Amino acid sequence: MVVSERAPTSTFSCQRCGASLAFEGVRTQTCPYCASPNFVERPPAADQPDPAFCVTFAGDAEWARTRFERWLGSRSMFADSALKRATVEDMRGVYLPAYLYSAVARSDYTAQIGEHYTETETYTTTDAQGNSKTETRTVTRTEYRPLSGRHIGYVTDVIVSASAGLPNEELARVEPFDLRQVRRFSPALVSGWIHEEFSRDADACKRMSRGEAVDEVGARLRRFMPGDSYSDLVWRTTVEWESLDPMLVPVWVFAVRYREDKPPFRVVINGQTGRIGGRAPLSWLKITIACVLALAVIAAVIYLVHQGQQP
Amino acid sequence: MTACSRCATPVEDGDLRCAICALPVPIAVAAVSRAPRAQILRCTDCAAAVAFDPAVQAPRCAFCGATMKVEHPVDPIETAQLRIPFIVDRETATASLRGWLGKRGFFAPKTLRDEAVLESFTPLCWAGWLVNATAAVAWTADSDADSHRSAWAPHAGQVSLGFHNIVVPASRGLDHGECRLLIPYYDLSQVVAVGRVDGEPHAGPADARVDGAMDGAMDGAMDGAMDGAMDGAMDGAMIESFDAQRSAARKQVQESIELTAKVRVEEHIPGRRFRNVHVACLLEGQTTDRVAFPAWVLAYRYRDVAYRAIVHGQRPEVVFGSSPKDWKKIALVMFGIAALIAVIAAIVWFARRGG
Repeated sequence: MVVSERAPTSTFSCQRCGASLAFEGVRTQTCPYCASPNFVERPPAADQPDPAFCVTFAGDAEWARTRFERWLGSRSMFADSALKRATVEDMRGVYLPAYLYSAVARSDYTAQIGEHYTETETYTTTDAQGNSKTETRTVTRTEYRPLSGRHIGYVTDVIVSASAGLPNEELARVEPFDLRQVRRFSPALVSGWIHEEFSRDADACKRMSRGEAVDEVGARLRRFMPGDSYSDLVWRTTVEWESLDPMLVPVWVFAVRYREDKPPFRVVINGQTGRIGGRAPLSWLKITIACVLALAVIAAVIYLVHQGQQP
Repeated sequence: MTACSRCATPVEDGDLRCAICALPVPIAVAAVSRAPRAQILRCTDCAAAVAFDPAVQAPRCAFCGATMKVEHPVDPIETAQLRIPFIVDRETATASLRGWLGKRGFFAPKTLRDEAVLESFTPLCWAGWLVNATAAVAWTADSDADSHRSAWAPHAGQVSLGFHNIVVPASRGLDHGECRLLIPYYDLSQVVAVGRVDGEPHAGPADARVDGAMDGAMDGAMDGAMDGAMDGAMDGAMIESFDAQRSAARKQVQESIELTAKVRVEEHIPGRRFRNVHVACLLEGQTTDRVAFPAWVLAYRYRDVAYRAIVHGQRPEVVFGSSPKDWKKIALVMFGIAALIAVIAAIVWFARRGG
């Protein structure tokens, strides 16, 4: 089979969430991110970065639906009962624009390191007959010693969303992606799928990535501390040799409608690993009943205890 | 061969990102597709639109089902270019297994050694990377130096270390725990190029080396090596492919180097005793060789249950694996312990009652 290429196809913009998506061989009337019907065609944006890498989908729509149904079945008892009759509106696999960041991080830190030691102490107690007597016991105390030093390392595989439709916090819920399977971008890899245009500028994504890198360094530093405990850990991180590369990552986006009078809620599935991020709506009626029942049980116990103490 | 501009690690064919620091490898502008948006791909056999199919990880024509090969393999499967020869032959490995089965301890069935039936006996050359790198290593630890009320005091420092011939498992057939049990017993000075036939002179470092890797690590190591080595086991031995590409195995390499660094920094920690050693490594200039390590994988059956054992390909005394337990003996011992506890409890109870 020989494959030929054609010009890019339709680009649509959601007037509600701001996502800009490119379609090819796919038709939809609503935005895959927020199910808004206010979805208008517009010319493709200029100055779009070329994706350098792409992580591909690992399964089809049925694969995603199975995971979604399993997830829905495992929601807590306080989830809205209408979820059982929920319908999935416009389930779409979308290649999400993102940036892949890496850097060298050097951090200078100071901390107070707690080292345990034991001491034997004397104390006075009173026995059953009312006599006071002196006894000894071993107690563990902590001696804090200052420590300062440097931590070094590469921070790699930081992915931040460059999508207007799916903020970074929502992407973080379905991370990580297995970057061992990352491929050099090729149009063939995304053919037949929706993909969003890069909606956030690279500088904003770099700042966001840098923040995630510094958080990662903080987590490493907490594991790096010696001693039995530590306090007052303060660090200053300098990042060097930063790299930021545009890439596409696969996500399944579901707009789930569970009540006519409520807006649909969104569920996101990692298109590579199947990890699901979404918050099923809770039933306030169930929560209120549970609270009232709990209070009733507590009141009954107090009443019974009180009754038992009366002569 | 070009080197990564961030960490000076040589970049190899097929690397998408640097194997150490993950810096994307630049590609020639001509090789880059300038078409970032989805394109309609049409099958010229039937003119139907083609879409990427996750099931086959390639674009597939929905109409005629033809699958399109995606451009270039961006992550080619790696194979070993060096190997360490087998020294342990089949008979020696069988004897080692029998000896090991006979020493399985009190809880093993008495008849294990005699009744175990050997079902398969496979010479396996499992895949591993041989890594050389330099690193700036920051460390923290507690030691008895400068301690006050506590027996421990915190210390921190930074040293520059060179790491030579660090073996990082990349095997599918053996799990990494099994590989780590085998690694300390390989004689890395015996490495030869894959494809060398018996009777040929052993490859010198320049012959065996891949793309100039292994900076001096094996210089002179081949002299006189392998005298009397048994290499016939290589006939029919399965040489594994690597389960991940070098650039994708960053985490495994980093973990292996950090394990080694933890031991190496001990000499830099003041004091005589220490604990809670932590390291952070900034690796540079990593070179990697792909090596096949010899081992015998034996499957045996004892009373209709299959077990697996591994015999080292160079040291017959290194044997490990799974083996059956005699549950009657275990139950008897547990019953005996319970009875003993009951007797002691009864004695104590009677003693207190009498007192």
